[in-house]
Amino acid sequence: MIKPVEKRTIDMQIIGGWVEPGSRVLDLGCGRGELLDYLAQKKQVCGVGVDLDFSRITACVRRGVNAYQGDMTAFMRSFPEHHFDRVICSRTVHELNDPTGVILEALRVGRSLTVGFVNHAFWKNRLIALVRGRKVRNVVYPTEWFESRPANPVSIADFEDFCGKKGIRIVRSVHLLGDWKRPCPVLPNLLAGYALYDLTGR
Amino acid sequence: MTDDLEAPSVPGSAPGHLSPGDVGLAQPRDFVYGHPFTFRSGQTLPGFTLRYETYGTLNTTRDNAVLICHALSGDHHCAGWHSPEDRKPGWWNNLIGPGKAVDTRRFFVVCANVIGGCQGSTGPSSADPSTGKPYGIAFPFVTISDIVRSQKLLLEHLGVDEVHAAIGGSMGGMIATQFSIEFPSLVRRVLAMASTARESAQAIAFNEVGRQAIMQDPAWNRGDYPRDGGPRVGLAIARMMAHITYVSDASMDRKFGRRRSPAQGAAAADALDAPFEVENYLRHQGQTFINRFDANSYLTITRALDQFDLAQAYGSLEKAFVPVQAETLVVGFASDWLFPPEQNREIALALLRAGKRANYAELATDLGHDSFLLESEELYTLVRGFLEREQVVFDFTI
Repeated sequence: MIKPVEKRTIDMQIIGGWVEPGSRVLDLGCGRGELLDYLAQKKQVCGVGVDLDFSRITACVRRGVNAYQGDMTAFMRSFPEHHFDRVICSRTVHELNDPTGVILEALRVGRSLTVGFVNHAFWKNRLIALVRGRKVRNVVYPTEWFESRPANPVSIADFEDFCGKKGIRIVRSVHLLGDWKRPCPVLPNLLAGYALYDLTGR
Repeated sequence: MTDDLEAPSVPGSAPGHLSPGDVGLAQPRDFVYGHPFTFRSGQTLPGFTLRYETYGTLNTTRDNAVLICHALSGDHHCAGWHSPEDRKPGWWNNLIGPGKAVDTRRFFVVCANVIGGCQGSTGPSSADPSTGKPYGIAFPFVTISDIVRSQKLLLEHLGVDEVHAAIGGSMGGMIATQFSIEFPSLVRRVLAMASTARESAQAIAFNEVGRQAIMQDPAWNRGDYPRDGGPRVGLAIARMMAHITYVSDASMDRKFGRRRSPAQGAAAADALDAPFEVENYLRHQGQTFINRFDANSYLTITRALDQFDLAQAYGSLEKAFVPVQAETLVVGFASDWLFPPEQNREIALALLRAGKRANYAELATDLGHDSFLLESEELYTLVRGFLEREQVVFDFTI
């Protein structure tokens, strides 16, 4: 079993590979600022993160990552078009109340948008749902149905369908197997555990 | 700022100045500037005095100074005690001291009473050297910029080359922000709490009611009154009303509810003429205030607050922030309806739009505007994190 920390590291490396050095980056749902800290150190980005939680903002401030506490859509609305070179939405998209609104707004304020999410249609999840007939629970969705935050489990097929309908261009994508490490060669919606997309508006 | 939140006194507890977390006995000093000082209005003073206090030691590289900027009714005495008999310590004693969020073992803390004030710095109640009488309303029109430029002269006098952080709540946040605009290379960090880049009409309106209470008091006499006299009724009413704007519906309800004053005795407690506790409390606030504050200073400083408008002064908020080199942390408080979270957010957002380093955090207290004086471990952790910040380089290699 691969450790969560290591999973996070691979995720960051792929995102870091797409980020231009010295660019202006917005991280939606920045948490404690690990990703922006990494990007500041590896890519010298000028970053800012948005999160809802005071203690996470405190953690960002402590490590020197600029952070803003508040609603991400309201935050983005106060910026002009293409203010950021890149907006990153890493493991956040499934927790949004209005994913469409956030993604379209992110494509307005950012020249490109990176979205990373756990593929809910991963075969193990399908199997659990089929065999147990219960809400799928795993590392990413650890809660019972009655205690969870609003969650929109999203699959690779769902996401690509969404991009097509909204006219969002997929510049590149990476699908990783269940270990979130090795690339997934075929049938990503079934075999990939994790997906990353690099998007631009049309 | 309210008096009770400023520095909670704890009856029966050990004297606070003996507590290891306090800066101990603080010594106010006077900085006398002997050259003419021109205000933004064009008016001049032949010189001025700023009363200030310092805690901690300026290091050899002269870059560990932390400038504390006080609010409307605050002063230079922000930490420690003036005498062992003091009932209360300085107004931000909970934040400043050895080992506290603003750690005086590490930082050289400076706090000065603003120009135009009445706690020892030159203001309307000071004697005009040309007449020997108090300036009164002839005192120059004071702006936040004048406060900043006069304090810059104090910092030069103290040999401070670089301010590690300028920190303030309410008007203090305005001063700290203005510092980073006017002296960009001097200020490395700005921490503005419960602040605004410009007051709303509502905030101006409340200040105007306070000013009218003072000016409509016959004892104001167009600002010409003896030192021990003046518009005591008007000033007390101004303070009582202002005090309401510093707290919140919820916090007042929790503190007083509809309780009647126990001073009336149990028998009278239900009588219609027994005052509500909140009435007595506000009267007490008003009475305490008139003994320590000058009415003309109140007029002067509330006007400085009302006139402060960074967007108007520089064309836009983004343009105002163009020269800024400091990293800014803005802290808003959910229940602050005087300088509400939106106005605090706007400072951070405009800084970010201008391409500056800025942060915004919001605390969910229900204490209103004066929440910045709150004893809150969460707030302390944030402040300490911003000032001291771990310089850890994380190892991201697998």
